Amino acid sequence: MNFVMLLAFAAVDDAAGFLKTYCIGCHGETVQMANRRFDRGDVDIAAIMRRVEAGTMPPKSAPKQPTAAQRQAYLTHVAKQAPEKIVLRRMNRREYLNTIGDLFQMPMDQFDPTSKFPRDQQWTHMDNIGETLVTSGYLLEQYLDAAEAVVAKALPSQPPPAPRTWVFKDQFQQQKELDGARRANKLTQYMSLFEHPRTPHYEGAYAPLHAFSEGVPFDGVYEVKVQVEALHRKNPYDAKLFGTDPEAPFRFGVVAGNARVGYLQHEQPIQPLLAETVLEDGGPYWLTFQVRLDAGYQPRFIFPNGMNDVRRVFSQFARRFPEFLPEDQRNVAAGIVPGRIAMMKYGKIPQIRIHHVEIRGPLNAPVIPASQRAVYGDRPFAPERTREIIANFASRAYRRPATTEEVNRLMAVAEKRRGAGAEAALKDALKAALCSPAFLYISTAQDKGRLDPYSLASRMSYFLWSSMPDEALLKQAASGALLRDDILRAETRRMLASPRAKAFVDGFLDSWLNLRSLGDMPPERDQFAAYYFDGLQDAMKTETRLLMRHLLDENKSVHDFLDARYSFINKPLARLYGISDGMPSAGGQEFRRVALTDSRRAGLLGHGSVLTVSANGIETSPVTRGIWVLENILGTPPSPPPDDVPALDPDVRGAKSVRDLLTKHRENESCMSCHRSIDPPGFALENFDPIGRWRTKYPNGAAIDASGEMTTGEKFSDIAGLRDAIATRKPAFTRFLTDRLMTYACGRKFDAIDAPAIDGIAKAASAKGDGLRDLVELVVLSDAFRRK
Amino acid sequence: MPTSRPDLAGRRFFLRATGVRLALPILDSLGANVVRSGLAVTALSANAKTVRPMRMAAIGNAFGFYAQQFFPQTTGANYDTPHLLEPVAKEHRKDISVFSGLDHGVKGGHFAVHSFLSGVRQVDAKGMPDGNISIDQRAAETVGGATRFPSLTLGSEEGLHGGCMMCWTRSGTRVNPIQGPRELFRKLFVNESEAGLAAAKDRLQLQGSILDAVHGDAKSLKNRLGARDQQKLDEYFTSVRDVEKVLELRQKWANVPKPNAPMLEPENRGLVNDIPVLYDLMALVLQTDSTRIATLEIAGGFEASVLGVRKEYHALSHHGQAPEAIELLVKLERYQSEQFARFLTKLKSIDDGDGTLLDHTMVLFGSGMGNGNAHTNLNLPVVLAGGGFKHGQYHAFPTSGLNKQPLSNLFVSMLQRFGIEQQKFALSTGTLRGI
Repeated sequence: MNFVMLLAFAAVDDAAGFLKTYCIGCHGETVQMANRRFDRGDVDIAAIMRRVEAGTMPPKSAPKQPTAAQRQAYLTHVAKQAPEKIVLRRMNRREYLNTIGDLFQMPMDQFDPTSKFPRDQQWTHMDNIGETLVTSGYLLEQYLDAAEAVVAKALPSQPPPAPRTWVFKDQFQQQKELDGARRANKLTQYMSLFEHPRTPHYEGAYAPLHAFSEGVPFDGVYEVKVQVEALHRKNPYDAKLFGTDPEAPFRFGVVAGNARVGYLQHEQPIQPLLAETVLEDGGPYWLTFQVRLDAGYQPRFIFPNGMNDVRRVFSQFARRFPEFLPEDQRNVAAGIVPGRIAMMKYGKIPQIRIHHVEIRGPLNAPVIPASQRAVYGDRPFAPERTREIIANFASRAYRRPATTEEVNRLMAVAEKRRGAGAEAALKDALKAALCSPAFLYISTAQDKGRLDPYSLASRMSYFLWSSMPDEALLKQAASGALLRDDILRAETRRMLASPRAKAFVDGFLDSWLNLRSLGDMPPERDQFAAYYFDGLQDAMKTETRLLMRHLLDENKSVHDFLDARYSFINKPLARLYGISDGMPSAGGQEFRRVALTDSRRAGLLGHGSVLTVSANGIETSPVTRGIWVLENILGTPPSPPPDDVPALDPDVRGAKSVRDLLTKHRENESCMSCHRSIDPPGFALENFDPIGRWRTKYPNGAAIDASGEMTTGEKFSDIAGLRDAIATRKPAFTRFLTDRLMTYACGRKFDAIDAPAIDGIAKAASAKGDGLRDLVELVVLSDAFRRK
Repeated sequence: MPTSRPDLAGRRFFLRATGVRLALPILDSLGANVVRSGLAVTALSANAKTVRPMRMAAIGNAFGFYAQQFFPQTTGANYDTPHLLEPVAKEHRKDISVFSGLDHGVKGGHFAVHSFLSGVRQVDAKGMPDGNISIDQRAAETVGGATRFPSLTLGSEEGLHGGCMMCWTRSGTRVNPIQGPRELFRKLFVNESEAGLAAAKDRLQLQGSILDAVHGDAKSLKNRLGARDQQKLDEYFTSVRDVEKVLELRQKWANVPKPNAPMLEPENRGLVNDIPVLYDLMALVLQTDSTRIATLEIAGGFEASVLGVRKEYHALSHHGQAPEAIELLVKLERYQSEQFARFLTKLKSIDDGDGTLLDHTMVLFGSGMGNGNAHTNLNLPVVLAGGGFKHGQYHAFPTSGLNKQPLSNLFVSMLQRFGIEQQKFALSTGTLRGI
């Protein structure tokens, strides 16, 4: 058989032939390994393509192996058959929120018109995939309600009131749990903060102004003066009882709160941190803040590094430190109420006292708010301006010049609503624009086979800012310049450098690593008190976001996600990770870059965020973590639950450890086919507890065995070894990350057909050093991004 | 736990121009004339013969019930009562029927649980003539404007892999539950003020105009899309139509005052604590004819720790036959059957004309998950109560073979008793033999 005939064979070898030759033996009528079957039914082409491309299939043990050329020929052949995809994509909740903020130039931190929207449907954790996001009657009803709220807020019918001052002193109501004791002790002339705001019982976690339940009358900036006292940071008792750090100065914060939303003394869904400072011991002394508050909101005060649970202190104190109480109080019957009264009077509990609060404002409120200017321009409303204002607004809302018919339809709404006055009618037309598909759906209009410049601008801004394009970008679109490579690249760089790109870092990580689920399974409070006391949830997210930001800003290699020997952490995270170098001895809420001398902590698999989101808050599971690694790092998710395999009812009695448990599963061949890929990475991560702390033993005392073997043969004894095994697949990781970026960027599913396109981008990125910024630029400049 | 009551000062109960307070039970005390579904409750008629309409309620959870402690060993009228069935069977044996061997023949574990009330998985909906509409939504379609709410869906909006997701419209969108007792209470009992009412009507008019405009925009957008995207955009058109129907219904009911609240506005205290309150409100909604169809789904938000169990619910459902895990799992499940039993007691205690409210409400209780440990959706736990069916037995239907009956046969029986002339639902083969 000479070379030419071999070539001829290769040319004839089409897709069906490839599968038949190399795959059907184990995935066909007689045998279905890993519950996959390729000779009929719903064939998972994408899964096949990934593994053929990665070389993980056929396995090394298979009798016949295709050459690299044959693999490529198969991949190209499949890619050529390209059925039409669904690319129509509506904005998701966060995109809607950001867009409203930009469209109306309004801060949205205390206003959430999307609070009743249903959760966005996700595909592989991505929350912006057009095909997956559903529009329902219920959602449209919410859009109608949201439009009302938005327009009412943006175009208030009253001018700002003159500034006034509210004074609160001499008498403070705090909350039922404390007020009994406060009255008994005649201590109602001040408020006390005892706890940090993430506690289970909320006793003295928030110091709200109950006498100010109506909140401020108008959106604006307010001066808040508060007289505080910081007491008993150093106290004669056991520090462990309080859980505070006697070395750390007290922190004092101001958060927004709204009595209509919920109890002022509890956590509320919207409570941005408006100001924070560190307190000197002693006092009383005055602090002054300037904060922005929406109408109906008030400033509430918090003690970010206060106690974990003062209720427990109240009940335990008399028992543990009787010598500190006067004799007649020592035998106080156990019980929270007498305990609280005694403790409040005699105990030297760490606390912040608030004696006097004054609020003044709104300060320097513009007569015409920015949001009104955004809609009307610099001139005030006049009935004859109706069409001009509507046309202007619609063009901005629809992110492209509105057509005459579109403006006519909005004018028809204004016409029908004339009865309430010309301005009210105009506002109603604006509401209609906010419910139009032209607003809600991100345009994919084309011109000559490519996205037209406005659609391209929208796709870019929703990719990099999760919001509408700004004026500069729209200008480039209007002239058509955006279609040029150099302009496209320049705009990409400009957008990445903007603070708005935070939405990209946050949104992409929330999707790729499922970080948006961090907090859905709150860690158990007693075992993991530090998670709450130290505010670890937010800190963990920040750490991962800072890493991605760093890779973008410095154009560092994406492989640092796998094994960066540095991270950006604050002191609480350093404590969690057992790191002491590079951290200051006191304070330390700031994030700083540290070198990770312990290689076991390197990369994403050492991040608290990843380790927590892949556990369930109570215990770890090698299966859950293993699947997480397969899905989000290796890009080879296990096959879905079997369809035509008889169900098993696992029986794991007698298993002494989780490894035992899983071995019993793997004794069954059809379980084994998936678990041999899932379990090993899961075991390697067992040394991290449910919030990412390193451990060598399970809570029941059993030693942890983190060893395993990958299906590709690499053996490891712990996470460091796993990391090394993954490091040999760096090109596959670049390709996988490219796939995730393209999916997020275009808001559509990428599958086998797109494989060559993804490959091309990944290879080009690798040729330049795998820098993340380069990769993002290559994504934007790619053919797939610029087409529908 | 804080116990201070919410501030009621802001709410005003509006007494209609007739000057009559609609107290509960509204129907008897005013001699109202209530007829079968399709016609509205009209207050104030004298000498009415009280013929009450049929109602429907359905309750489901995400992880099923531990079969060995749910299904009895003996069939027939004298069936034994395992631990999970005991709360219901002890009090209400004569009013319930317990079934085994029924299911929809679907696979997918968590990804098929949502087919409990529809018999069809969402991915398979396109191939079915009625899509994956659930039995409650099918019934709601026939009520027309007779009640203020065609149906009320309560419970967990989400949960593991989406949660129960029990209720589905004809167009394949999931019905979002009302999660908290407080929101439900306000929907049911809090009236608008005079000014609020006028504003509400004005808003309905505005929304109608908006829908006209955006419909035009959608038509124009559709022309510029490829075939598959056009299909996707149909969701928007369907949404517009659905909202138009909602607006019509609201318009119709705008002038009818809501019933007086028989209880104080409840707080939301987390799903586990809210379940009894939600059940109480369900009984109220049916009693006041605010709706005739109510469902409750129990999934996300079910904090095991509230019941003293310090392990995660889903993790426990994968007990692996370990006795310690089963014991804890059963604790969580027993709470659910206890609450269900309490609901039936409540329905039985409410007079509903010629019978109790339970006599006129068919209640379905169970899950789309058959065996949480094995992730199968076969042999589902199902209890049927009330509705005037012949009760009192445990029916162990065959799990395979020629005599196996799909669960949707029960749904056909239910729909027919509800008053709907329907011979088929999803993959049914007829009505359920034996009841």
